[in-house]
Amino acid sequence: MTGVDDAELAARAAGGDPEAFGELVARHAPMARRVAYAVLEDQEDADDAAQEGFLSAWQAIGRYDARRAFRPWLMQIVVNAARDLRRRRRVRTAEPRDHVAAASRDDPAKEAGALDLGDRLREALATLPERQRLAVVLFDAEGYPQAEIARMLGIPEGTVKSDVFHGRRALRKALGSVKEEWDE
Amino acid sequence: MSDRSTSFDPVPDPELGPALREALAMPHDGAFVTRLRALVRQRRERTWDEVLAGWFWRGVMATTAAAAALATGYTLLGNGATTGGTEESVAVQLLDGERPAADVILASWTSGQ
Repeated sequence: MTGVDDAELAARAAGGDPEAFGELVARHAPMARRVAYAVLEDQEDADDAAQEGFLSAWQAIGRYDARRAFRPWLMQIVVNAARDLRRRRRVRTAEPRDHVAAASRDDPAKEAGALDLGDRLREALATLPERQRLAVVLFDAEGYPQAEIARMLGIPEGTVKSDVFHGRRALRKALGSVKEEWDE
Repeated sequence: MSDRSTSFDPVPDPELGPALREALAMPHDGAFVTRLRALVRQRRERTWDEVLAGWFWRGVMATTAAAAALATGYTLLGNGATTGGTEESVAVQLLDGERPAADVILASWTSGQ
């Protein structure tokens, strides 16, 4: 199903084709997991939220408006699922470092510097309020336009702009400090 | 990374974006997708079961409701007939020596009683 676009797959899925929806899952799972991780800062929770989001989308696929892009529709559901899970599990301690450990287990040849940068960025992200974190991740990492992010998060476009601005400042500082260390 | 700390750059940061994606990327995408695909198939099968079960129970409930409505209607009709029979006519009220109420007289007059 490589030559088929998202809208066509969504239409087939709405007709009850689980394989078409499975293809959509394969296409968008990495992004959904990243976005869920940005909200929850915990790998296991992020997977639970991404899974819940996909299953909710599968149940609601009949209500998807094919005139709109599929990706933001799906991502809005995933963001809502992640926020909902965060509310439910607020008492649980987040363990963002498990991610780093898993990554190093999976790819021991990976440069220590690269892991360090990821670690610093995650730490910097964790200092941001949830909405700012989401705005900067959706804008810079996932490439969504401001208007789409505003719709997804239910906030005005000006707020998205401000959140991205402030989020970037914190993250660039983290990025800059790692680069300085590398240059030394 | 240029100095963009004072103004908002309306395009995604070409350096920060990929670094963030890398930082947030989670391992085992393949396993996640395989598990989810299986759940999607399962969910669909269950959905069909649920649909059929829903129809079954809806049918049972509709039949029960119809039977209850029939029973209630029958009872009410039966009670109505009995009640009508026990209503005192003008003649009975006169025989009892009571003064019939105006609505009773009017009702008996219009029905030709």
